[in-house]
Amino acid sequence: MLVIGLDGATWDIINPNIARLPNLGKLISQFDHYTISLKQKPWSASVWCSLFSGKTPEEHQHLDFVKDGKIQTRDDVKVEFIWDILDKSGLNVKALNIPFIVPPYNFNLEFDPPGHGVPITQEELNAEIDLVTKKVLNILSQEKPDLLIAVYTALDKMSHLHWGEPALIDYYEKIDQAIGPIIDSDDQVLILSDHGFTDYDSAPIQTLPKITATGNELKGDHHPDAIAIAKNIPFKITQPIDLFNGLYNYFNQGKK
Amino acid sequence: MKDKSRYTTISIPVQLNEKMKKKIEGTGFNSVSSFVIYVLRQLVSGSPENAKGFTKEDEKKVRDRLKRLGYL
Repeated sequence: MLVIGLDGATWDIINPNIARLPNLGKLISQFDHYTISLKQKPWSASVWCSLFSGKTPEEHQHLDFVKDGKIQTRDDVKVEFIWDILDKSGLNVKALNIPFIVPPYNFNLEFDPPGHGVPITQEELNAEIDLVTKKVLNILSQEKPDLLIAVYTALDKMSHLHWGEPALIDYYEKIDQAIGPIIDSDDQVLILSDHGFTDYDSAPIQTLPKITATGNELKGDHHPDAIAIAKNIPFKITQPIDLFNGLYNYFNQGKK
Repeated sequence: MKDKSRYTTISIPVQLNEKMKKKIEGTGFNSVSSFVIYVLRQLVSGSPENAKGFTKEDEKKVRDRLKRLGYL
């Protein structure tokens, strides 16, 4: 099974541009797809943590990338993730570029992300698509993990910096092209985002200041409606913790 | 799909085991084994601080980038 994360992906970009996104369009036309309307704050660190730990923000208490001025690391997140549990049970699980912390977390593999895990320049933003895709395809050419999770994180940064610009649609197009061979490589593929996006002034919650400390203007911000596209996935996600629970139950780990 | 032979038994002092039982109370770890695997994995390769190439200078760069995006 493949779980592909697209950080910040929204139907508001995908649907009106579906003709330019043939791989996503093909999946959507053939398989289940729906909106995950978050009840928790649409904050990447916290939502990715919930998705893969099965715990609400109140339970995992990992609310941001930085706490009291300290960049949070895996050691600061006091939970077991689905990869920890499944690996312990003997399954072959790999996780690539999971952005509940920065730099994003990797499990059972090594990965050097562009931009120190926080890509900002266009070169870095584009590089992440290439590097994540190459890493996934490299893994799949050598083995078939029971569960492979990979996240394209830079779409979030791209959406913050370029919301409303043609460059963002181009970026979605690049991702669509990149994931084509990946989604064809497995019978079970789940594509999902941790939250949606909208223009900064329309966002129900402003997760970041419009003008950052260094004077950059952010044009987009998070929206609580995330996406899910499910190719032969035997569970549905209505809230982030459902992903953990669905994977846990699917891989038959017994009682939680 | 499962391969139990991928795991082995390691002996640790009973006192240490008891201390770890207390340490994981109220955390997401449901057993000492889970906690030990987690700690050892972090020690070997998992945590960014220990990852190859992640230096204090890199941390500064990450901090600067988070600042540019408004996280700091």
